[in-house]
Amino acid sequence: MRKLAAGALIAAVFCTPIASANGVFTSDIPSMHEEAEAAGIIQSYEGPWEFFVGGGAASFDCNGDRMPDLFIAGGTAPAKLYVNRSRAGGALEFEEKSHGLTQRDATKVLGAYPLNIDNDDHTDLVVLRLGENLLLKGLGDCRFEKANRVFSFDGGRAWSTGFAANWEKGNAFPTMAFGNYVDRSAPGTPWGTCEPNVLNRPANSSKTVPNYQEQLPLEPGHCSLSLLFTDWNKSGEPALRITNDRQYYRGGQEQLWRIRPSAPPRQYSRSQGWKNLRIWGMGIAEADLDQDGLPEYALSSMGDTMLQTLDPDADSDRPTYRDAAFEKQMTAHRPYTGTDLKPSTGWHTQFSDINNDTRLDLFIAKGNVESMPDFAAFDPDNLLMGGFDGKFHEKGKEAGIALNRRGRGAVVTDFNADGMLDLLVVNRKSNVSLFRNLGVKTSWGHRPMGNWLAIELNNGKVNRSAVGAKITVKTGNLTQSRMVQIGGGHASGQTGFIHFGLGVAERATIRVQWPDGDWSHAYRVFANKFVQIPRGKPDALYWYPR
Amino acid sequence: MIAGLLALGVVTTAAQEETVSDPSGAIGQIAKLPEGVLTRPELKKLINAGEKLFKTKFTIDDGAGRPGATQAIIPTKARHRSDNAFKRLPGPDAAACSSCHNDPVVGGAGDFVTNVFVSEGFSNADFDTSDPQFSNERGTNHLFGAGLLELLAREMTSDLHALRKEALEKAATSNEAVRVDLVTKGVSFGRLTALPDGLVDLRELSGVDTDLVIRPFSQKGVMTSLRQFTINALNHHHGMQPSERFGKRWTASDDFDEDGKTNELGAADISALVAWQATLPIPQQTGTNDLAQAGKRLLGEFGCTNCHIEALPLRSLLFSDPGPLDASGTLNTSQVSNPGIYDIALLDWAKTLEKNAKGEFLVPLFGDLKRHKMTDRSVNALGNELLSQRFVGRDIFMTSELWGIGSTAPYGHRNDFSTLDQIILAHGGDARKARDSYKDATREDRRALIAYLKTLVIKP
Repeated sequence: MRKLAAGALIAAVFCTPIASANGVFTSDIPSMHEEAEAAGIIQSYEGPWEFFVGGGAASFDCNGDRMPDLFIAGGTAPAKLYVNRSRAGGALEFEEKSHGLTQRDATKVLGAYPLNIDNDDHTDLVVLRLGENLLLKGLGDCRFEKANRVFSFDGGRAWSTGFAANWEKGNAFPTMAFGNYVDRSAPGTPWGTCEPNVLNRPANSSKTVPNYQEQLPLEPGHCSLSLLFTDWNKSGEPALRITNDRQYYRGGQEQLWRIRPSAPPRQYSRSQGWKNLRIWGMGIAEADLDQDGLPEYALSSMGDTMLQTLDPDADSDRPTYRDAAFEKQMTAHRPYTGTDLKPSTGWHTQFSDINNDTRLDLFIAKGNVESMPDFAAFDPDNLLMGGFDGKFHEKGKEAGIALNRRGRGAVVTDFNADGMLDLLVVNRKSNVSLFRNLGVKTSWGHRPMGNWLAIELNNGKVNRSAVGAKITVKTGNLTQSRMVQIGGGHASGQTGFIHFGLGVAERATIRVQWPDGDWSHAYRVFANKFVQIPRGKPDALYWYPR
Repeated sequence: MIAGLLALGVVTTAAQEETVSDPSGAIGQIAKLPEGVLTRPELKKLINAGEKLFKTKFTIDDGAGRPGATQAIIPTKARHRSDNAFKRLPGPDAAACSSCHNDPVVGGAGDFVTNVFVSEGFSNADFDTSDPQFSNERGTNHLFGAGLLELLAREMTSDLHALRKEALEKAATSNEAVRVDLVTKGVSFGRLTALPDGLVDLRELSGVDTDLVIRPFSQKGVMTSLRQFTINALNHHHGMQPSERFGKRWTASDDFDEDGKTNELGAADISALVAWQATLPIPQQTGTNDLAQAGKRLLGEFGCTNCHIEALPLRSLLFSDPGPLDASGTLNTSQVSNPGIYDIALLDWAKTLEKNAKGEFLVPLFGDLKRHKMTDRSVNALGNELLSQRFVGRDIFMTSELWGIGSTAPYGHRNDFSTLDQIILAHGGDARKARDSYKDATREDRRALIAYLKTLVIKP
C-alpha cells in the first residue's frame, strides 16, 4: 500500500490540470429553488424518540420511464410514494400514488433503499422499519408487493437504521447488510444496548428466487446509522464499512468488516491497523477525491465531519486511516450562517458534482436531533463545493439551501433530466425540501453550468444495474470515477443514472469495471447526454427524456 | 554550457533592463458583448474590430505565449514550463491569425509552410517531432463564406434533432421501435432507431457525430462553430487565452497560462473575431469559358457532386453569436441574456446569393458538410495519419468545400498535393467511384473539370 500511496501522489499531480486557487471559490454556484409543495410533495418525518434518527428516502424508477420516483419515510406517519411527472428541464412535478402497503407496514418506516433483488425488470425496495423490515418486490407501474415470505426473509424486530447491498462473487442475488440501532428491550436500554447488525446472504441453492433464510449477526453492533460495501483496498472484495453512534454504545467504535465469499465476516482489529475512532456516526459517503483508485469516506457526526483517507502506514490488508477533513476545509463543524455557533449535527452525506465543474461537491443534511441544548438549533444543510484548489468551500447560503429545517436523509439526483443535480432533503417535523437546480443566477435569469454526462449501466441478467461497478470518465488528463453503490448516506439510497460533471469538455471516454472485475472497452460519447452502457455491446446508447 | 550562459544572460538582462510595453492595441475595442440584431453601423464596427484582431500580431504585452499551459482545448497545465515565445510544432506557432490565413488574401488559406500540428495537447503535449504518432499535420483552410457554413450546419442540426424527436415520440406512442432516415437539405446522414423507452440506437449513423450536431469546421468536421474554433486557435497558435474558457470560472485563475497577463481576451473580443469571419464574402466563380462549362457538367457526371453538392439551401441569414450548439467552455445562447444577431443580408455580397423557389438562399459551397471515408485498399494516399481526431477515424474527413479551391493550392488535409489532378486521384473509399470516373475519362474531359474548378476563386 505504501507503493500505492506514492503512485497516488503522482497521479494527483498529473491528473490535476488546474493551479491552486488560493482559497477563493470562483466556479459556478447553483441556484437551488425550493419547490416541494409546488411539486406536489407533502411529507414530513414524524414521531418520538425512535424517530429522532432515520428519515430517509429512496429514489428510483418504478414505472420504466427512467425518471427518478420517490419513496419517502414518514416515521409514525405513513411512508409515501411519489411518481415523477416532471418534464425535461421543467419545474419539478410529482404525483402521489398508492404503494399498496398496509397501514402497519407503511408506518414506522425510517428509510428505504432501492435494489433489484430478483433480477427482473423492476426495481425492488428495501424498507427499514422500527420492527419488521420489508422487502417489497417491484411489479412495474409503481406497484409493489411484500416479498418477505417469497424471498424467505425474516424482517426481524430490530430498530433498523442502515442498509447496504452487494453482489458477492458468483451469487445470483445480493448480499444485504442491515444496520441496527439500540436494542430497546435490553436491560438498561438505551445506554450500551446496541443491537447487532445482520448480514443476509442468499442461499447458494436458489437460482431463480432469492432465499435469505440464512442470517449472520455482525457482532458486536455499536448502534450503527449507516453502512456501505466498499472496495477500500482495490481487492475486488468489498468490505463493509459501518459508522456508529457513540451516543449509545459502550466501548464501541467505527467498524470495517472483511466480507469474503462463503466465509464468516471478520471485523478488522487494531492489530490489523484499524484505528479506534469514536464519533456520532450518522452517514457515510464515498468518493475517490485524489483519483488514486482508493476511496475516501466522509462521515457525518455531531461536530466535525470526518474525511477518512488511507494513512501512509496502511497496506492492502491494513486499513489504517487518518482524518483529512481539516486540510480539505470540510469539517462543517458548526452552522455557517446565523448566530448559533454551537456544534452542528450532520446526517446524510453525499458526494456529487452539483455544478458540473468536474470537482466533487459534498452535501450534508444537518439538523438538531430534537432539542439537544449543546448543539445548534438552527443548523442549515451544507453544500461544500469542491474547488480547483482541492478544498471545499461552503456555499449553502448562496445556493439557497440554508433553511431552518432539521434535515435527515436526502437524495441528490437529476429529477427533471436537465443535466443539473437537484436535491431532496427529508426533514424532521416539517415538509421535505425539494430543491430544483436552476443553474447560475444572473441579472437576466439563470444560465446552465458545465457540461455533464449521466450514465446508466446494464450488467445483463444478474445484478442488472451493476451494483459494485466502477465507472471512469476521462476528459483530457482528468479521469473521474464513481462507484455504483447501494448503501451509505442516512437511511436513503438511489439507483438510476450516475452523474458526472465535465466542465468545459464536450467529449468524454467512458470505461466500466463491471462488478465481477472485468473492464469494458472504451466508449466515446458526447457531453450533455444520458448514456446507457449495455455490457458486452460495442456501442453506447443515448437516452432522451420527454 | 553556451546555451546555459545565454539563458542566464537573458534572465539577467530581463532583470536589469526596464522593458517597454508594446501591446498590439487590438484588444478591448468592443467593450460589451453585442446584443440583439445589430444595425449595419454596429455590425461594421464589430467587423472592423474583428479584422484588426485577426490581423494583429499579438505580443507578450497582450498575453501571447502560454508557458504554463498546453494547446489543449480543455485548460491543461504544461508538465514542463516553456518560456520560448514560439514552438513550431506544438505551438504557439504564429503571432497573428493572418500569419497563416493569408492566401490569396487575409482570411484565406495557407501554403504548406503554414501547416499546423494538431494534437490533443494532453499527454506528450510538447512533442518535438513531426512524426505522425504525436500529431496530425494539417493545412490551413480559408474562411470565406464561413458564416454561411455555420448557418447551414445549424439548420441541418436542427433538422436532424427534429427527426430524432419525432421518431422518439412515435416510438413512445406506438410502443414500437421507429427507424428513421436522417436526411436534411438532401444530405443523408444514415438512420437511427428510436426505442419506445427513449433509448436511441445510433449504429446506423453515417458521417455525423452521435449527438447529431453537424460540425462544419476543420478538415475532420469536428468544430461546432467559429466561436469554438477561434477560442481553440487563439490558445493553440498564439497562447492568447480567452476568459470564457480559460478564465476563473473554469480554472480558478485569471492567468491560467502563467505568462503574467490576466484576462487576455474578453468575450466581446471573441465576438468581434467571429463577426469578421462570419461575414467574410463567399468565394466566387470567375473566368468561365466553354471548357470550364464542360467541366461543370462533368463534375456531375463523374459523381463528384454526390458529395461536393453545388449548393445547399439556407433558410435564414441571421447569424446568432453566441450560437445555439456549443457546449460549455464556449459561450452559447443559453449562457447570455440576448445573443448578438448579425444579419448577413446587410452585407453587399449577400445580395449576390441566388434563391430557390422556396425563397431559401442557395449557398454555393460544393460540399455536403458530411464526413466520408477517403481511403480503400488501393487508393489510400489520404490515409497518411496515425491518430484519430476527436473520435473521428484517421482516414475519415469532411467533404472539402470546393468554393475557393482555385485560389487555395496546395490541396489535401496536409497540403500534400500541388495539383488538382493529384488530389482528385487521391480520392478513395466513398469517393472511389467518382475518382475512377475521372481517371477513366479522356484527357480533355479531365482538363475541363480542372478548368472549372479553377474558376472557383476567392476574389480580393
